[in-house]
Amino acid sequence: MSTQTNPATTPDPDDAAQKELEAILLAKPPSPLAEFWHYFRQNRGALAGLIVVGIVVFLAVFAQVVAPYDPIAQDRSAIQMPPSWEDGGSSQYLLGTDAVGRDMVSRLMYGAQLSVFIGLFVVVISVIFGVTLGLASGYFRGWVEIAIMRVMDIMLSIPSLVLALAIVTILGPNLINAMLAISIVQLPHYVRLTRASVISERNKEYVTASQIAGAGPMRQMFINILPNCAAPLIVQGTLGISNAILDAAALGFLGLGAQPPTPEWGSMLANAREFVGSAWWIVTFPGLCILITVLAFNLMGDGLRDALDPKMKR
Amino acid sequence: MALLEVKNLTVEFGSEKNPFRAVDSVSYSVERGEVLGIVGESGSGKSVSSLALMGLIDYPGRVTADSLTFDGEDLLRMSARKRRNITGKDIAMIFQDPMSSLNPCYTVETQIMEALKVHEGGNKKQRRERTLDLLNQVGIPDPKSRMKAYPHQLSGGMSQRIVIAMAIACNPRLLVADEPTTALDVTIQAQIIDLLLKLQADSDMALILITHDLALVSEAADRIQVMYAGQLFESGPADGLFAAPRHPYTQALLEALPERSAGHDRLRTIPGVVPGAHDRPTGCLLSPRCRYATDKCVSTQPLVTDYYGRDVRCFYPLDDNGQPTGRNV
Amino acid sequence: MLGFLFRRLGDIVPTFFGVTLLVFFLIRLIPGDPILMMAGERGVDAVRYAQLKAQYGFDQPVIVQYFHYLLGVFQGDLGKSFVTKKPVLEEFMTLFPATVELGVIAILFAIVVGLPLGVIAAVRRGGIFDYTTMTISLAGYSMPIFWWATMLIMFFSVSLGWTPVSGRLSVLYYIEPTTGFMLIDTLLSDQKGAFVDALRHLILPSIALGTIPMAVIARMTRSSMLEVLREDYIRVARAKGLSPAKVVVVHALRNALIPVVTVIGLQVSVLVAGAILTETIFSWPGIGKWIVEAVSRRDYPTIQGGILLIAIMIMMVNLFVDLTYSVINPRIRHTR
Repeated sequence: MSTQTNPATTPDPDDAAQKELEAILLAKPPSPLAEFWHYFRQNRGALAGLIVVGIVVFLAVFAQVVAPYDPIAQDRSAIQMPPSWEDGGSSQYLLGTDAVGRDMVSRLMYGAQLSVFIGLFVVVISVIFGVTLGLASGYFRGWVEIAIMRVMDIMLSIPSLVLALAIVTILGPNLINAMLAISIVQLPHYVRLTRASVISERNKEYVTASQIAGAGPMRQMFINILPNCAAPLIVQGTLGISNAILDAAALGFLGLGAQPPTPEWGSMLANAREFVGSAWWIVTFPGLCILITVLAFNLMGDGLRDALDPKMKR
Repeated sequence: MALLEVKNLTVEFGSEKNPFRAVDSVSYSVERGEVLGIVGESGSGKSVSSLALMGLIDYPGRVTADSLTFDGEDLLRMSARKRRNITGKDIAMIFQDPMSSLNPCYTVETQIMEALKVHEGGNKKQRRERTLDLLNQVGIPDPKSRMKAYPHQLSGGMSQRIVIAMAIACNPRLLVADEPTTALDVTIQAQIIDLLLKLQADSDMALILITHDLALVSEAADRIQVMYAGQLFESGPADGLFAAPRHPYTQALLEALPERSAGHDRLRTIPGVVPGAHDRPTGCLLSPRCRYATDKCVSTQPLVTDYYGRDVRCFYPLDDNGQPTGRNV
Repeated sequence: MLGFLFRRLGDIVPTFFGVTLLVFFLIRLIPGDPILMMAGERGVDAVRYAQLKAQYGFDQPVIVQYFHYLLGVFQGDLGKSFVTKKPVLEEFMTLFPATVELGVIAILFAIVVGLPLGVIAAVRRGGIFDYTTMTISLAGYSMPIFWWATMLIMFFSVSLGWTPVSGRLSVLYYIEPTTGFMLIDTLLSDQKGAFVDALRHLILPSIALGTIPMAVIARMTRSSMLEVLREDYIRVARAKGLSPAKVVVVHALRNALIPVVTVIGLQVSVLVAGAILTETIFSWPGIGKWIVEAVSRRDYPTIQGGILLIAIMIMMVNLFVDLTYSVINPRIRHTR
């Protein structure tokens, strides 16, 4: 057997990527936030989502300041006026006006306010109740768990929108009730997630150690275990916001959520079908706003999942 | 002419600008009916080089070689289709973990017959008979009922026998076995090696046995090739190599064998680990771990040279007493 | 296999009773007197009120009322609609085929488009095709489908005039419902062009309804394929000398399908929610539109019965999916 060899070339050690890697390997462990940001930043989609979410939140907070008009003020001289770049449009109303002469831009901006509010409200309510129920069922097990999880199974066996419809039927159709209905519908996801995390955490050494040290159930559940289940909950919460916005818009569209003249994106589309042949802008823009906002939250949620999930890191 | 001739095989991963060489200009050959043992620690490139031989390196990995000749034909310069006709027929491979080597969705029978169907054709009945034959050959008890079994119903040793049956289905002339026993119980390991050697001897098939277990190849292999960090460090006939290692790394590997630690308080080890993608030394790749390393070793890479009929990549090959030579020259 | 079926049934039964409890108390949670509500605007005198109360069993304890309700449910008696005065089950059964037809075509669309997209994206991972497909499918997943449906109508029906705007069939044709499935009924009838017309009516609604499932299937297929393609047995299959196409289809896809089937099963719930919106927009006479109308008319027996029937249907589909799952995954079939 003959063996020859080329002079081996060693890789150029001054390469930037290698330096970065060395820096990571040699440096002190970065703070969890810095580490999270390092991974999140690499995901361009998530970054784009974050930027859009930032814009939407900005509009939501400053709608009163940036919106050119009152969202429910009707200008009788400008009914169904097309966007400014179309024939018959006016620079006065950038995206045109709706069927009763309300400025689309202002309504969409106030709609952002409502959507962000809906998203946050729903997530806060369902996280508070969902996490509590999940912690209780995962920590106490036994009949508490059976009872809670059976109810959740029942709720999950009914499509979310159907269940929300049923709840709105009981409570009556308006925006607050729609938000409550959506919060209830989203509950099972948080309960299941929390319970699963708690069950996997509660048998770990640190919980046992703390128990030996005399920690009570409340301390165990909220101080010791909960922080370790935070990552999946944060991801689910982000996706929950986008689901809440979608469901609220769907209820608004069906006339069972926000009622006119509230500038909610879904209810703005409630009788949009009348305008498909005559005023495309009334039909197009509210839905586009929903799509972009929900997409942004979903992109962000995906990015969060990848950045927070240690198994995904390679 | 040798059955397999590998000249300067190189496998690179990573960017073009800053590649990582998992296999670095390795050359060797395998004669008909010969058993070649390739030995090395994890990360030494022994598995990657055999995957390259099978054409299983995917983008972004890059395989280059001056030649990769099997039975007179260069594998790297033929069409993908023609190469596939050789892969699995004339050259077959078995992998480390038998439990994950079988597709959980199909029966044993289906998976063995598949290889036969691709390369040999024939009708279903012939293929089934041949499968039964193969299962007998690899020592599966009650092969008729085992044929209908799904992989999750088999033990590790049984799975590896099935994997071997699958590999030898088309009577390959070269079988590459990549750590065939690592994932198995110690009691089963010897059985599987015996089986492989028996099949090898019966059909005059060449066998490349890749392992990190020196003791195993010492008994099985005709020739041995020691790899380290993607490079060939030493190769030669098995007997000589064990009697008098010429490379300090081979020497250290042999000393690390438990049976050679007799009389010592502790098992001897080689300090450090195989360099990875980002911590390659500039000179000899072993220099940080070599007890004989000099300034020259740290700054310059040695080439493979012939040393009394042995290929050695070292500036100071060892003499029969295990002492480095030529250090003062 | 049989044991597996019984185990799954054991999970379903408590959930079924739970749902009956839920819909039973749903009505009682509504503020106001049920008899007065039933009577509507006209009101009732005291004698008739007591009579009705006895007739509907409202004078009995709640537990007894629930048992009466349950007994009725088992006999197929889900009450009568306040509005049409017809039995709820009968109304459901007439409208159900329209929804099934729409849902089946929508899920077929989702599978036929989503599955190959996911497979190709996985095989070409990191490439431009992968990137584009995954961006589009995330957009599909984020889609407000009532708006998407409206946009489809605006573009294809109004601007281009390619497809009809709403309904299941043009007024040109009259088809006596035999199976209730328009595609089958039109084929059985001798009216020329009716089948094509029915098909044209189905295109937009099923695209609108199938978009979210398509996105979910594409994403799931991709990630499942990526996982499977890393497996050892894929390398073994390639080492056998199989062609890349055979490796992907025979060895990878079969394994990758296991989680995808589960996801497809979960889409039934998504489809029902979507059907509510899609049917409303396309004036599709199915159970989605029926439920929305019942809610806006406060037709409580219909809402009650409708929810129960939808829940039963979803449980049945999930059971079916679990059985399919055990067929494609031998590991489940053999363990019990």
